Amino acid sequence: MTSTASEVVASPARPHRVTLRKTLIACAVLAGALLLAIVLMALLGSEQLPVRASLCALASFGTSTCGLSQDQFDILFQIRLPRILLAAAVGGSLATAGAGYQALLRNPLAEPYLLGISNGAAVGTMIALVFFGASEWTRPILAFTGALAATLAVYRLARGRAGATPERLILAGVIVTTFLSSVIVFVTVLMDATRIRSFTFWLLGDLSGTSKALLPVTIIIAIAGALALTLHARSLNLLMLGERDAFDLGVEVGRVRIVVFLVASLLVGSSVAASGSVGYVGLVVPHLARLSLGSDNRLTIPAAALGGALFVIVADTVARTVIAPRELPVGAITALIGAPLFIYLLRRA
Amino acid sequence: MRICRNLSVLVWVAVVVCLTLFSACTPRGTANHSATREITDDAGRRVDLPATVDRVISLAPNLTEIVFAVGAGDRLVGRTSYCDFPAEAKAIAEVGDTLHPNLERIIALKPQVVLVSTASQLEVFTQQLQGQNIAVFVTDPHDLEGVFRSIERIGEIVGEKEGANLLVQRLRERTNAVEQAVKRRPPVRVFYQVSGEPLYTAGHDAFVTDLMRRAGAASVTSDVPGAWPKYSNESALAARPEAIILPSGGSMGEANSNVAEALRQSPAVLRGRVYKINDDHLARPGPRSVDGLEEMARALHPDAFK
Repeated sequence: MTSTASEVVASPARPHRVTLRKTLIACAVLAGALLLAIVLMALLGSEQLPVRASLCALASFGTSTCGLSQDQFDILFQIRLPRILLAAAVGGSLATAGAGYQALLRNPLAEPYLLGISNGAAVGTMIALVFFGASEWTRPILAFTGALAATLAVYRLARGRAGATPERLILAGVIVTTFLSSVIVFVTVLMDATRIRSFTFWLLGDLSGTSKALLPVTIIIAIAGALALTLHARSLNLLMLGERDAFDLGVEVGRVRIVVFLVASLLVGSSVAASGSVGYVGLVVPHLARLSLGSDNRLTIPAAALGGALFVIVADTVARTVIAPRELPVGAITALIGAPLFIYLLRRA
Repeated sequence: MRICRNLSVLVWVAVVVCLTLFSACTPRGTANHSATREITDDAGRRVDLPATVDRVISLAPNLTEIVFAVGAGDRLVGRTSYCDFPAEAKAIAEVGDTLHPNLERIIALKPQVVLVSTASQLEVFTQQLQGQNIAVFVTDPHDLEGVFRSIERIGEIVGEKEGANLLVQRLRERTNAVEQAVKRRPPVRVFYQVSGEPLYTAGHDAFVTDLMRRAGAASVTSDVPGAWPKYSNESALAARPEAIILPSGGSMGEANSNVAEALRQSPAVLRGRVYKINDDHLARPGPRSVDGLEEMARALHPDAFK
């Protein structure tokens, strides 16, 4: 058993043999696409900006206006670019967290939303908004706390005498999700009518309120989280064989689990605090990565991080341009793209 | 077989219980059906009303204000938790809020008419009330004329037609005075900020868009479809409004008292032309809307009122 397991890990599937070179090439291609998307999507918006001057200003990193008016320059660098960078950070965070949960729980449906982690973060953010509305720093802190609390609750509920089986864990996630959903409904009903509208928009995922103070933090957490999980990718590969086999192969199962839970909670907490609940990213993007690149986490996790960033940037550009100057919540777009794509992937797989 | 028989007994018991309950719940007032009148509401529905109405429930703060202003406050037997004006309204029984009215409590108060604002979107709820023989009257004003019409109609419903007509006449005079004062002034380009984060504004269908036009303002979002659209930050910045109106205070408290980040460098902010106006005067299409009109006009065209 053990020997076959290690063989499987050494070469997961012949066409998808992962080498460092292949990882670097795939990541370089995705990073190039991401950079291209950032530039191209910065040219699109409800206001028309001159393309050549905008490209010139972007290439100069904002040091030269290249003939853009002050308003146009502000639109590009104060509104569009921060929002695109936030979309990238949120997408990268959610996809990385999803890939981490899926590997750890050996369940392709494991996702921050399904496990209730996002709802935990949302409750934390709501508490921050209601009680400490003025200080925006409380939002990611309480969102992280909420995500972690939800994770621990799910984990405790799932841990039976026979250990935490993936099935039990997903069921526990459903219970925590529905419980926290009712808490959210309860809080919105208790709140002022005037604030309900902005909350319902935020709950669906909205990137328009990009906070200048929180943006760098969200980006740093996204990058650090993706790196941390990539460093544990080998252990996660072994965990995909089953916890006992992984343990026999020398994986510190308990420690890896705690690391994944902490890192994923941090990723989900920071993205929910910044943008509300953007759905389907953690489900669809890692699936796409596995389908096109194979299921080795050393490649899946960094590819999911870059792909998630790309996905949410494009989805948010649709959200802010399709009925301009009005806007849609980005979560509605990711769900509209994500749900059919997911069904297609399931049928093909 | 026995299970089938038991089931059929159960069904019969259920039917009998339902029928008894149903007949017990039917309002006694239905015998009085001869003396009715018909009135058409803003949703285009024909509403059957008893000849005299002395028990009314209002499901929106603007409608409560109208009922009091036409002089029928004593006939109001229920209101929402948002109905806080005039002060006497607070003594009236609460029946939930605009979005979640309590059907049982409403039926227990035995109203003849329930006044509804379409903002509350209560289709199922309306059907349930009609099933109880309680008339539902819907108002949906999109401009100041619509508000005047609601006042006259509600006056008619509660039998205060004269009071209502007098009120509308006074409100019209004040409106005309404002319009005359700002008539020759160039309209000020205004951004109406419903909320800053996320950014919401007043669109084409909003009642307040008409109010702004009458106050000598040109809303930069007056052509945006819908009543309260979520608005693009960059479009707000590019619009370069000369003035910003922040509906704030009143029952809103301190909410919405800061200008959205995208508008911090706008001409309006740089020239100090940001005006906080009591949200209750702007967001409730009722008698105090004319107060809101005057406040906006005075803020935007101070010279016109010297």
